Amino acid sequence: MTDFVQNSLDGITLGASYALLALGFTLIFGVLRRANLSYGPAIMFGAYLATWTSLNFPAALFVLFLVTVAGAVLAGSYVERLCFAPHRKGSAVAAMVASFALWMQFEELAVLALPKHLYAFPALYDGGPLSFGPFFLRLESLLMLLAAVSICFLLWKILHATRFGIAVRAVIDDPTAAELSGINIGAISLRVFALASAIGGLTGFLIISSQEQVTPMLGMWSTLKGMLAMMLGGLGSLPGAVAGGLALGLLEAHSQWYFGPQWRDFIAYLLLFVLLAMRPPWMNTRSAY
Amino acid sequence: MAAEPLLRISEVVTAYGKIEALKGVSLDVAQGSITCLLGPNGAGKTTLMMTVAGVLKPKSGSIRFSEEEISSLPPHAIVSRGIALVPENRLVFPSMTVLENLRAGAYQRKNDFQEDIARVFARFPRLKERSAQQGGTLSGGEQQMLAVARALMSRPKLLLMDEPSLGLAPLVVEEIFHIVAELHREGSTIFLVEQNAHMALKVAQHFYLIEQGRVTFSGNPGSLAEDEVIRRAYLGSAQS
Amino acid sequence: MDEYAIGVLTNIGLFSFIAASAYLLLVAGELSFGQQAFFGVGAYAAGICTAMLGWPLPLAALAAMALGALAAALVGLPTLRLRGLYFAMATLAAAEMLRILFELFHWQLEIGGETVGPDGTQGFRGIRWVFERGVEPADFLALVWALLAVVAIAIHLIEKSRLGATVRALGEDPELAGMLGIDVLRLKLGVAAAAGALAALGGALFAHHNTYIEPRNFDIMLGVHSLAYALIGGLGTVFGPLLGVALDLGLLEGTRFFQGYRMIVFGGLVALLLIWRPRGLLDERVVHWLKTRFS
Repeated sequence: MTDFVQNSLDGITLGASYALLALGFTLIFGVLRRANLSYGPAIMFGAYLATWTSLNFPAALFVLFLVTVAGAVLAGSYVERLCFAPHRKGSAVAAMVASFALWMQFEELAVLALPKHLYAFPALYDGGPLSFGPFFLRLESLLMLLAAVSICFLLWKILHATRFGIAVRAVIDDPTAAELSGINIGAISLRVFALASAIGGLTGFLIISSQEQVTPMLGMWSTLKGMLAMMLGGLGSLPGAVAGGLALGLLEAHSQWYFGPQWRDFIAYLLLFVLLAMRPPWMNTRSAY
Repeated sequence: MAAEPLLRISEVVTAYGKIEALKGVSLDVAQGSITCLLGPNGAGKTTLMMTVAGVLKPKSGSIRFSEEEISSLPPHAIVSRGIALVPENRLVFPSMTVLENLRAGAYQRKNDFQEDIARVFARFPRLKERSAQQGGTLSGGEQQMLAVARALMSRPKLLLMDEPSLGLAPLVVEEIFHIVAELHREGSTIFLVEQNAHMALKVAQHFYLIEQGRVTFSGNPGSLAEDEVIRRAYLGSAQS
Repeated sequence: MDEYAIGVLTNIGLFSFIAASAYLLLVAGELSFGQQAFFGVGAYAAGICTAMLGWPLPLAALAAMALGALAAALVGLPTLRLRGLYFAMATLAAAEMLRILFELFHWQLEIGGETVGPDGTQGFRGIRWVFERGVEPADFLALVWALLAVVAIAIHLIEKSRLGATVRALGEDPELAGMLGIDVLRLKLGVAAAAGALAALGGALFAHHNTYIEPRNFDIMLGVHSLAYALIGGLGTVFGPLLGVALDLGLLEGTRFFQGYRMIVFGGLVALLLIWRPRGLLDERVVHWLKTRFS
């Protein structure tokens, strides 16, 4: 029983990071109807920028946070301009393959700038895990949870209480009607990309400072988890992204405990495959790409 | 020298890939008028509306609004010039409330739309009742009213309407055209595309017939026998 | 020809199989992130057949192709009615599951005093059938390209036939195809199986060229690369994906001009090229122009 609760705790905090990644990924998908394969790599760019900064300057943790977010937003905007803006009315496959091409660029850039496979990153918190009776919770995990809740709330506020948010929701609901209402889809797309990349950067920073390390695998890993969580929760829906992320985290934590890391991943993919094959109604939120 | 009409469409050709849906359409919409475009399904009515609204780009030809060439502008620029389209099938935002739909329509007016909301609610009391209801749950007639209201939020100089009567009960259709006439009385210019020739002819000052991508008739209601118009609006002419 | 050039050309040949595999599905209107799985199935199957069961390579290659087709059909059956990203994610999930299974697969035999066989993440060594028979790298290169030529010409002939036109029409407008009475699902399944067999053949040859394979060879990177090769080479003809592979592995990597930053150059080139030509260099328009020019 203790194990079950502990694993569930771990699963929820892991799920919080997945939910954040899924949120950013889903924002882009909802507005552009396309998958951005460079989502994770843009986060990795920010993470590497911050790592390089920490290796060359005595920077405070908060500064590194800003650098990560700024790097992710910069990289994200680059991807949007080169891969998604030119194909807005055109081929979805071309946009996605182009985003893969930029992923290649980011990975090689990272390896060139910081050639080692693993780099240390300043810790978010130096102390040990907090204990609640028989259960342990790392402060970093709590922070991740807090971040997820805050971002959800912030996002909800932006989408429901601002003019920008109305425009974003309009584009998600019906891009043609949005255009006809005078909304500049190109401008909204770029801003959504920046917002999603910023959320990604925040998440990336929390991940690397919790794990106290950075690897070039962060890029692909983030994209995969974001996409997986988004699909599990129902393509293109923001609440679904959060639910999908939490579900994935819980699934992974329990699977890993009982079956080990390889089966953990296998089970997640199997679940996705089966869900897709069965196409339950709550997965049918968005069309095609 | 007469001033150019508010909207002047000249020899517009719009194609989907290789298929030309509009084969050289020319027509004028005079300031302050209700102008109607009638024609059967597939004649190109919606294609023309979407072309004027900027969603589709013409292969050739010109579209001039207030003496400015607008055919190459993106849709949001056309809205800012003062044209708003009430699209075929309404296209309300299904997951957004009535109020949010209106706010979306007022997007370009930034945060200065309270007056317009009040006016729109006065004109469409049913929408006011349902202001917190999601667009997707409204009835067909209510969605049509919402679509019109949303378009009005941008304070357009020219209102385009694509088949406002489509799929609506006769009583509701009458209500919609009542609103159209009311808007006209208040000074709006309306360019209306319809298959329901009977209702359209009751309000229009001028009408055109479009068949297979070309304008085949231009005149005032009464210049062609109504049953002839209705026949051609639903079926097209005997000869192509 | 020097050994390096032979190596580059062989790689171009080998990866052309999987690029063509991704191409076939793209033409049929489906985006697959998972062709690398069938490449892997072919590699492991052929390796087991020659190194552990003592079969000759031709037989092993046929077995690999059959297994590749079967695996592709099994993956495709429940998923081909999905479109767009749904199908892409399903293929990704299937491919990753297969890769994890390769990581967990241990089967080793004592042959001639050596331990041979797949050893999970440690990989599968000793696939030496080709080199044990004194086949020179240049000969193997010829074999790979001969097979590729046969396959490419066969596909090219099919493309020119009614079947090819039907598949292309299916890709462009599946609703219309369905209305015209085409059994969309069966046709797509056929294409998927053929693509699986094609990738598996490439994998079989790959295993025998490298003599050592590991699950990491068959990860997402390979899959997305193949997709990119197919798309930039062009979707108008089966020679498109071959061109795509040649551009990256031949021009960029082979020339060693851009040593160390080849991916940055290739990535940028792909993104820019796709803006100008969203369906690749040899897209349908260019192919049509070439046909009218040279007929």
